[in-house]
Amino acid sequence: MAFPNVRLSNRPLHFIYLCDCSGSMAAQGKMQALNQAIRQSLPGMAEVARQNPEARVLVRAVSFADRAAWHLAEPTPVEQLEWRDLQAGGITAMGEALQLVATALQSPPMEERALPPVLVLISDGQPTDDFDRGLATLMRQPWAQKAVRLAIAMGHDADLEVLQQFIGPETAAGGRSARRPLQASNATSLAQYIQWASTAVVGAASMPASRVAAAVAADRAGAGASNIHLPDLPPTILDPTDDVGPLVW
Amino acid sequence: MSWLLPEGARLHFQGLDQPLTILRGLGGGTQGQVYAVEAGGETLALKWYLPACLAGDPGLPRRLRQSIGLGTPNPDFLWPLALLEPTAASRPLIRHPEAGFGYLMALRPPSFLGAHLHAGGQLEISLQNVLRACFFLADGFHQLHLKGLCYKDISLGNLFLEPGSGRILICDNDNVDIDGGDPGSVLGTPGFMAPEVLLRQSRPGAGSDLFSLAVLIFRLLTRHDPFRGRRELMIRCLDEPARRRLYGEEALFIFDPDDAGNRPDPEEHAAALVTWPIYPAALQALFVQSFCTGLRQPQRRALTGQWTQALSRCLDQRQLCPGCGQETFPEPEQEGRCWHCGAALPRAARLQASHGSVVAAAGNALYPHHFNPLLGLDLHQPIGRLEAHPSDPTLLGLRNLSSEPWQATLNDGRTLRLEPGRTCNLAALQDIRTSAGTLTLLA
Repeated sequence: MAFPNVRLSNRPLHFIYLCDCSGSMAAQGKMQALNQAIRQSLPGMAEVARQNPEARVLVRAVSFADRAAWHLAEPTPVEQLEWRDLQAGGITAMGEALQLVATALQSPPMEERALPPVLVLISDGQPTDDFDRGLATLMRQPWAQKAVRLAIAMGHDADLEVLQQFIGPETAAGGRSARRPLQASNATSLAQYIQWASTAVVGAASMPASRVAAAVAADRAGAGASNIHLPDLPPTILDPTDDVGPLVW
Repeated sequence: MSWLLPEGARLHFQGLDQPLTILRGLGGGTQGQVYAVEAGGETLALKWYLPACLAGDPGLPRRLRQSIGLGTPNPDFLWPLALLEPTAASRPLIRHPEAGFGYLMALRPPSFLGAHLHAGGQLEISLQNVLRACFFLADGFHQLHLKGLCYKDISLGNLFLEPGSGRILICDNDNVDIDGGDPGSVLGTPGFMAPEVLLRQSRPGAGSDLFSLAVLIFRLLTRHDPFRGRRELMIRCLDEPARRRLYGEEALFIFDPDDAGNRPDPEEHAAALVTWPIYPAALQALFVQSFCTGLRQPQRRALTGQWTQALSRCLDQRQLCPGCGQETFPEPEQEGRCWHCGAALPRAARLQASHGSVVAAAGNALYPHHFNPLLGLDLHQPIGRLEAHPSDPTLLGLRNLSSEPWQATLNDGRTLRLEPGRTCNLAALQDIRTSAGTLTLLA
């Protein structure tokens, strides 16, 4: 006879992409690179979801150009997710995208109990609408305050200042840190960061990993200490001569 | 995944006569990457650390050398076999300017699956094999602690189990150190860490291992968490500060006999309510000991030897419900009820040895320790097993798994010789002289 068919109850983990689809994303294959990076990251993300009995990983995506809109509106279990390509064209309504996410993080529709949401903002430019108002609306939501907020800057035209505002106060510690915008200057580093966010960060937000004393001390030293212990950034090991790889964008 | 060691490369390491051929990458995490490698015709596993790892944990090579020198506590550990530092000629083949280092261990057979799959309800496994896995886990820690070592970071993430046998493998042995020595850098995994470690009052050691071990056994036996009861339902966002309260500052065992303040919720925590009553009181008492009195007093936690004893007794008590066929573990000499269907359980026939008795139920096994208390509890090598007749499951037989012939005495006084590998029908049996001692059938 088998072990009784019961299991530890799980909580939803909402993972939301906020993707810049402005006209500039059409240049140099950036839009295609982002579509590929997200699509390629899904099997790894599904594997992490399988390994974490405590979490039910649900994915959504917002795209923003002239307006912000849900690209994937339904919270979708990652193993059922088929990524539909984003199309570039228009300006950069980032503030409106934050407003949209704010409505999704209200309770309801947010569940009464959940794991910290993960929000990943990806942009190659500057907001053309009222970013401050959008951010203020978002940050009024308790679930947004609890969320792990990450930002990926594609290329050197991205507005690092607004991305930093989205993440929150910068850490005091030097060096690369996920509490700063992650700078992707080519498709390889973009794919690495997307993969890291969708696997290591999802893992950390759903089931805490093994902890070392040094990392705990660093966490505490960080300004605006977070409620989730972020895993180390992916090692940049491909090209030892250049920490971030070739500059393409 | 970008692999640090190139597939197909033949790498030479200091102190190793033969080169290792990198067969393929198996996986990677934030610490390092694991590869299948070939060495002198044998396939082994290689763990390679990301160079940043050494910076955060300078004691790592010393601990690995120490563990390699001391040798594995028992075969259930994927223990480090050799420390690997590349020779000058091989360093340029490694895709990182700092090259790094690693260690060699046995390769995990594919039949061993991550314990998280069981916790997530994704494995078909019998209660007997879950109990056996728990026994092997407690026994592994028993042997490890007897060597003066501690593990520091046991969790669902570094345990693998074979669903068909209950055998286990304990991996990630790179935090193992002499108990009470170098504080080291690892603290453990939240949810498994002892409260005093979670709250930074002390560093992990054998005492905190006992807590983490109890949590892991609880998670395997119940598919639930010992501290997630009603108090969890009051937590909206389960983040790190919330976990610190749940498992540290305000930790309360869900089945604390003196404080019902954190009982499981019938809907959200159904797993705990279904599985907890399956187990005998002696086993439940060890959880109460570890999670109530032992919560703040590490020296009062259940010891590894207590776990192995309670778990092996529980396995000896295993009985199949005549109503539904489910595995049950009623107290001997007591009228029990099936936890699954509620049917009354008849008093079961038992095989009595000089130092233990085993319920006559298909799948139950006899071990040398049932005959000789000096041998220590060990479930690796049964000397006999109870088996149902292949064509008539109501007929139960005892198979001789030893290498010596046994002599059976039947009810009518006749004797017969039971060769190794043969089975004799229990129905007509009075007693049986095994190579280890005499077994008597008590109806």
